[in-house]
Amino acid sequence: MAMNLNGVSYIVRETMRNLIRNSWMSLASVSTVAISMFVLSFFLVLTINLNHVTAVLQSQVEMKIFINRHVPRSQELALLRQARHWPDVRRIDFFTKQQAAASLKQEFPDQRDLVALISKSNPLFDGYDVYTYRPQAIPQLAERFHKESIVHTVVYEGQVVSRLDKLSNILRWVGWIVEGLLGLATLFIIVNTIRLAVFARRREVQVMKLVGATDWFIRWPFVLEGMVLGILGSLVADGLVDGGYRWLTGAAAVALPFWPLAPLHSVMSEVLMFTLIGGVLVGVLASMVALRRFLRI
Amino acid sequence: MIRLDKVSKRYPNGHYGLVDVSLTIRRGEFLFLVGPSGAGKSSLIRLLYREEAASQGEVFVDQFKLSSLRRSQVARLRRQLGVVFQDVKLLPQRTVYQNVAFAMEAVGASTRDIRKRVPQVLELVGLSRSRDNYPHQLSGGEQQRVGIARALVNNPIYVIADEPTGNLDPETARDIVKLFVEINRRGATVIMATHAKDIVNQMQRRVVAIERGRVVRDEVRGAYGYES
Ligand SMILES: Nc1ncnc2c1ncn2[C@@H]1O[C@H](COP(=O)(O)OP(=O)(O)OP(=O)(O)O)[C@@H](O)[C@H]1O
Ligand SMILES: [Mg+2]
Repeated sequence: MAMNLNGVSYIVRETMRNLIRNSWMSLASVSTVAISMFVLSFFLVLTINLNHVTAVLQSQVEMKIFINRHVPRSQELALLRQARHWPDVRRIDFFTKQQAAASLKQEFPDQRDLVALISKSNPLFDGYDVYTYRPQAIPQLAERFHKESIVHTVVYEGQVVSRLDKLSNILRWVGWIVEGLLGLATLFIIVNTIRLAVFARRREVQVMKLVGATDWFIRWPFVLEGMVLGILGSLVADGLVDGGYRWLTGAAAVALPFWPLAPLHSVMSEVLMFTLIGGVLVGVLASMVALRRFLRI
Repeated sequence: MIRLDKVSKRYPNGHYGLVDVSLTIRRGEFLFLVGPSGAGKSSLIRLLYREEAASQGEVFVDQFKLSSLRRSQVARLRRQLGVVFQDVKLLPQRTVYQNVAFAMEAVGASTRDIRKRVPQVLELVGLSRSRDNYPHQLSGGEQQRVGIARALVNNPIYVIADEPTGNLDPETARDIVKLFVEINRRGATVIMATHAKDIVNQMQRRVVAIERGRVVRDEVRGAYGYES
């Protein structure tokens, strides 16, 4: 595959010639790649956001442990000290019922009745906020806390997190399948575009083979053509995704102010990476397929 | 050295192009391949540059054993050979100059070498004045000379020509054979399939005659041996 400068200028010239000669088919190919990459990006954006929501939820309080009333403070703290060393426990924050009441008031300042109730005679408990390393470990951990005699109740929202996890797994699979099918369709279209280019030059290809050109020397202009088609299509898709996501974040800021959308730059960097790699791969693969028959001389 | 060892060529439709052919051609030789139409001359030549593979037996070209060549080695084999095809295979959309230069581009020659070498070869075959013509603007003989120039441009060790003087008048044919003699004198091995009786008789070189796919005669200073 060694190539000197003469080779490179030959290849670039040939590629340009092919692209321009078949400009309509080139346009069709670019559009197909763009559609396919846009769908890929759609699934990517969904998965990225689901992961983002999951991460945000996980970083919030995962488990609340409430302690029985009238338990001596020393016993509460003893359990706290022990539980810090249990596996999967990341952090434990102790709170008193006064602190619990204060944070409730802060969270729901408009609920007059509630505020009045907890101000008069605080019905709340002392307790712990427990954070873990592994959301899957939450149920066992809850069980373990529950066995302690001083523990009154254990509350956790692990179910939400694990359901989100499942959803994003399903989504990933659906995404791969849809993308696989679309990828095949894209491949098919690009193969045909390049086959046209090869067909127009089949005499050249034949003569080159017969005078001793290597397969790679003959392939390069067509491979480059495939890559250009793939990259152009991907860039179109990336533009659409970028515009669309900007619009979405704008709209969401008004309609769902507390919904944690993944930031634009992290979405776009992943979308760019996947679509460009995908575009190049599809382009290269398509040109190899299109040429196979013609190189068999 | 080129060596065929009990080579047979059977085409997919069942026809035999060659039957049990054994032949050795040493470096520097000048060899005429003669025989009636359909005898198997082109079949033999196509085996040498590996457009076709032998059905039985083995073909050797220098260090290459043709039955077990990988794709990349086929390219290297062909760079040792300069082939003039029976149907010439010129590119109609390229000029004489571009057709010849194309063979150099295809093997990655530098622009400088191409600019230097192509005019030399065109001069050699006497086409300097037609360098900017397209193939359809040339006579049959001129087209064949472009094919010859293209075969010679990469300085091959073996020059293999399949009826390079077909449909030429005797005068021009003789010029072309003289050209091959000159190339042979400079060191290239020349293998030439031909029907040009007078030239073969006059040249007194090695003659290999093929009939119905078999070698029927191999003489060091041979004659054409057929009524034409
Ligand atoms: N591609 C092919 N498929 C089937 N049969 C073929 C093929 N090429 C050649 N043949 C057969 O092989 C035999 C030898 O053909 P070949 O072309 O080698 O003859 P030749 O000596 O070159 O003839 P000419 O002097 O007319 O060029 C003929 O019978 C021909 O019909
Ligand atoms: Mg022939």
